[in-house]
Amino acid sequence: MNPQDHERACRLIDAWHVEGIPAPEQEWLDAHLAECTECRAQALTNERALQLLRSVTVRADPALVSVTQARVRLWARQLRERQARLRALWVSCALSWVLGAVTAPLLWQAMSWLGQRFAVSQAIWIALFALCWIVPATLVGAVLVWQHSRAGGVNNNSEVFL
Amino acid sequence: MANSICLFMNSMEQETRELARGLRRRDPDLLDELIARYHYRLFRYLWALTGSREAAEDLFQETWMRVLERGHQYSPRWRFETWLFAIARNLAIDASRRRQPESLDALLCPEDMRAPHELRDPDSLTPFESAAAGEQAGRMGALLRQLPPDNREVLVLRFQEDLNLDEIAAVTGAPLSTVKSRLYRGLEALRNLLTEKEA
Repeated sequence: MNPQDHERACRLIDAWHVEGIPAPEQEWLDAHLAECTECRAQALTNERALQLLRSVTVRADPALVSVTQARVRLWARQLRERQARLRALWVSCALSWVLGAVTAPLLWQAMSWLGQRFAVSQAIWIALFALCWIVPATLVGAVLVWQHSRAGGVNNNSEVFL
Repeated sequence: MANSICLFMNSMEQETRELARGLRRRDPDLLDELIARYHYRLFRYLWALTGSREAAEDLFQETWMRVLERGHQYSPRWRFETWLFAIARNLAIDASRRRQPESLDALLCPEDMRAPHELRDPDSLTPFESAAAGEQAGRMGALLRQLPPDNREVLVLRFQEDLNLDEIAAVTGAPLSTVKSRLYRGLEALRNLLTEKEA
């Protein structure tokens, strides 16, 4: 038995566990192990080490498991509620913009009439029109952004790369 | 034979797709089932990663909360456990950064890799079996503690959790070649430690 054979056998013994080896290599290794006590001992040590590793059995406390299940359920409910609130806000935001767009001509006419009626300068009633038209949608939008950043800010310090 | 393998693969794909849909919906029943199914493996992995039962318990809860929050990020092309371990690992690294910003190695080089007090998955253990398993786990814990952290992690993922090499690369974020070399080095180191211990 030459040293190259031992070296090859050692490499194959580890490779068999780590990534598997092709059938011809496996046959050669089996034949070598049948004859070489030194390599067989190494193969057995590997087996024992991995068996020991696999035998490590650590169990979570059953109370921890049930507490986790309860917490996850509660958090799931809270997240669903938060999502429903966010959806309602989105809808109201969209509605306010649509209503704003639809009523813009009417509001313009109303402001123009009020401006003439009370002799207010054109710059003022145009500014008032812009305020009436923009404020509701802007408010809803701001709340929406705030809510969204709050939801995103919960435990976002670690990304999952998969 | 080929047909049955094909059927098996199809049913697995179907299962992971349904899992992904359930996770996107944040289905609480599905999450309950997943916790019941994977608690043992997750806890064992966290214990190997942190070396401390208390840290593993904290991270255990946090991991499931994160699974709930980030369920929409799960891709059916991975097995669920691969994604779960990746989340657990990232959280463990975050926790380690918060505790000791100067050293990530501290996470994987725990001071006290103690034997856990409850051992073996089946609930019905005789007191003798319990003691024997505890002793064995303690011995293995001591051996594992002596391994370099990177090597220890891949050994645990490969031989305890039965992940394939691609999955280990995905969990650890390391290239496949690095995963392989860590496994070879880890296996050699473990073998040498066992031989030394027995000599």
